[in-house]
Amino acid sequence: MLKFLAGSVAAVAIFVSGAVANAQTLKMWGPEQITEPLVAELWNGIKADFEKANPGVKVEFMPPTGTISNGAVQSAIQSNVGPDVILTNSGIGRISIVRNAKQVMPLTEQYEKRGWKNQIYPWLYTELKGQFGGEVYEVPDGLDALGIWYHKDLFAQAGWKVPATWKEFETLLAAIDAKGLQPIAIGPRTTGSAGHLFGNLLQSASGKETIGKALRKEIAWDDPKVAAGAVRLQKLVEAGFIKKEMAGLDLDGASRLWFNKRAAMFVAGPWFTANARKAGYDLVNAGYAPMPSDNPGEAIPTGGVGWSWLVPVNSKQPDLAMKWIDFMLSDPVMKKRAQAPASTMIYPRELTGIEPPTPVLKEIFAAAAAGVGYNPSVYLPATVLDTYFQVIQGLISGQVTGEAGMKQIQAKMAEAK
Amino acid sequence: MINRETPGSSTVAPLGNRSAIAKTATVEAGGSVARRFDSHDTGSALWLMAPALVLYAIFSLLPIAATFWLSFNSSAGFNTASSFVGLDNYAATAADPIVWQSLWHTLLWLIYHVVLAGGLGLALALAISRLKVTQVFFRTAFFLPHLVSLAVVGVIWANIYDPFYGLLNTALTELGLGAFTQGWLSDPALVLFSVNVASSWQGFGLYMLLFIAGLQNIDHSLYDAAEVDGASAWQKLVYVTLPGLREVTTFVVSLAMINGLKGFATVFVMTNGGPFYQSELITTYIYRLAFQSQDHGRAAVLCILLSLLAIAITLVFNRWRARLSK
Repeated sequence: MLKFLAGSVAAVAIFVSGAVANAQTLKMWGPEQITEPLVAELWNGIKADFEKANPGVKVEFMPPTGTISNGAVQSAIQSNVGPDVILTNSGIGRISIVRNAKQVMPLTEQYEKRGWKNQIYPWLYTELKGQFGGEVYEVPDGLDALGIWYHKDLFAQAGWKVPATWKEFETLLAAIDAKGLQPIAIGPRTTGSAGHLFGNLLQSASGKETIGKALRKEIAWDDPKVAAGAVRLQKLVEAGFIKKEMAGLDLDGASRLWFNKRAAMFVAGPWFTANARKAGYDLVNAGYAPMPSDNPGEAIPTGGVGWSWLVPVNSKQPDLAMKWIDFMLSDPVMKKRAQAPASTMIYPRELTGIEPPTPVLKEIFAAAAAGVGYNPSVYLPATVLDTYFQVIQGLISGQVTGEAGMKQIQAKMAEAK
Repeated sequence: MINRETPGSSTVAPLGNRSAIAKTATVEAGGSVARRFDSHDTGSALWLMAPALVLYAIFSLLPIAATFWLSFNSSAGFNTASSFVGLDNYAATAADPIVWQSLWHTLLWLIYHVVLAGGLGLALALAISRLKVTQVFFRTAFFLPHLVSLAVVGVIWANIYDPFYGLLNTALTELGLGAFTQGWLSDPALVLFSVNVASSWQGFGLYMLLFIAGLQNIDHSLYDAAEVDGASAWQKLVYVTLPGLREVTTFVVSLAMINGLKGFATVFVMTNGGPFYQSELITTYIYRLAFQSQDHGRAAVLCILLSLLAIAITLVFNRWRARLSK
């Protein structure tokens, strides 16, 4: 009996040790808002499908403590016990920080080998290839399209219309202000939020081509053609349409004003649906429109690559990380995500026969169908970004004029390599 | 000189006799015993200290040396090849107006912290030290904020300061004092002070406990004598209590200055140095340079600057204290 027991224990031990030796864990940084039940349900399902397709593999989510913008991703990679694959806010400005610090792997070869280049929009692949001399360091997961969110019921009750021109927009702001509501809410303590409104204003005043030129250093940021958007922000603050006190708000504080209908408008992207659900806001009531412009054809959302997959240079499971990205780019997973009620973004390739899960997402997709302008927050060099965000805070708190603020941004741009 | 007993000896010499025996032994051996003991002890001491010395070298000396090395190099991150740039990082730091602005803010922050946290700690210690039954309750209640993480304190106070929903502005409005509502975190003139209030709220509890301990050590007969001389409460405070707290006050001020220089978490959480750098401290700027811009060279220069600042402030304060006590 004793011999049998000892034999059984030994057999179990060998089995367990064998299983442990074969077990592989893929640590994934993300997803955001995993604490939201709908998001958790979607991602746990994806995780289970991947584990089923790859026996012996476990996927472990690492809830993000921040982004590249606040240094959280860099610190996690630097710790050497960080993630094997990362899903985070991206764009050339952010990616250049981790790329210059040699913290992420080049993925160019994988685009060819694994066919990723055929799984994203051709224009997107061309854009990525042009950023770092042909090397690509990210795999886009979602695109952003930033525009104005408004309350349909509030607008209907007051008889307000979505403005078609900047003049109409100013008239609308005055009417909202007269009603005792905050015309626009903004939370510039969250740098991204500051950039969303400012990018919209730059696009509206100067147009996509001019902002593109400014980002490529073909025109100075303090050129009146580019600075016009900054001057508009200064004037909106001076008129009281954007309260100076908002300089002390973060994204949560500002969106709280909008969700509680104390603010009529808010500049955000498709991801705002997740914030709205979390706040218990009825998404059927949410309307979306691009910031109006007097320049024909320039009333378009701003955006760019919003979220991407990255593979750290010290990933303990680089092969598994590539497999995971393959899996995420596959048709079934992408369609599953696009149709899920937790869907919060525009996907990096055209998905036919997919109905967006909320009406506001449908409006956003329609607005973005004609293309999006630049959100400078994701295109500016890392060394300029900090000044860019601080200048926006300075404009909202009335510490700097539009022209002077743009001079500071231009000075940083001139230094940037 | 260590006085060793012979192994197995059952008798213990009286203290006075022990030194006499040791002295005799040293003289008899012509000093060779003492020398043997000294070299043996030094060797043992070094072996015993080795683990601590190794840890100190790894976790203190090496990082300090690495910081100096980084300050003369340019690199975009720890994984990149760095290049020697001489004093370029120092020149760039000196030419950066935000550095000087953050240095000024750091000094203001330190003063606010010493005055607000130290002052509140002293005031509350004086207020509750005479309480008999309820002192423990108040002591515990006032100390509780100190147990809360600074990051959590930042989140709580950011909500208190919210200009639209915050407790502070709402209370002022409800009390008919709407004219006093402010953008506590958006007004450039107020933001550093507002954030410091949050930080000091978390810190005053420790200083209060130290002051209470100091108050308990003041000889009560001094108060009795002052009473007999007809001293008022104010005179007793000025001529008995505060002089009696001199040592504790010195300690509290030193501690508050060190904590003030380390200020980071509340600023990082509540304003991230904004708006438009109006609450930027040296520490937050170091973080911004090192982890957001990956400019480790300039961040290292600022680390050295911060260390020099701490050393200079400590030296000046100690000299001032020494002069006062003469």
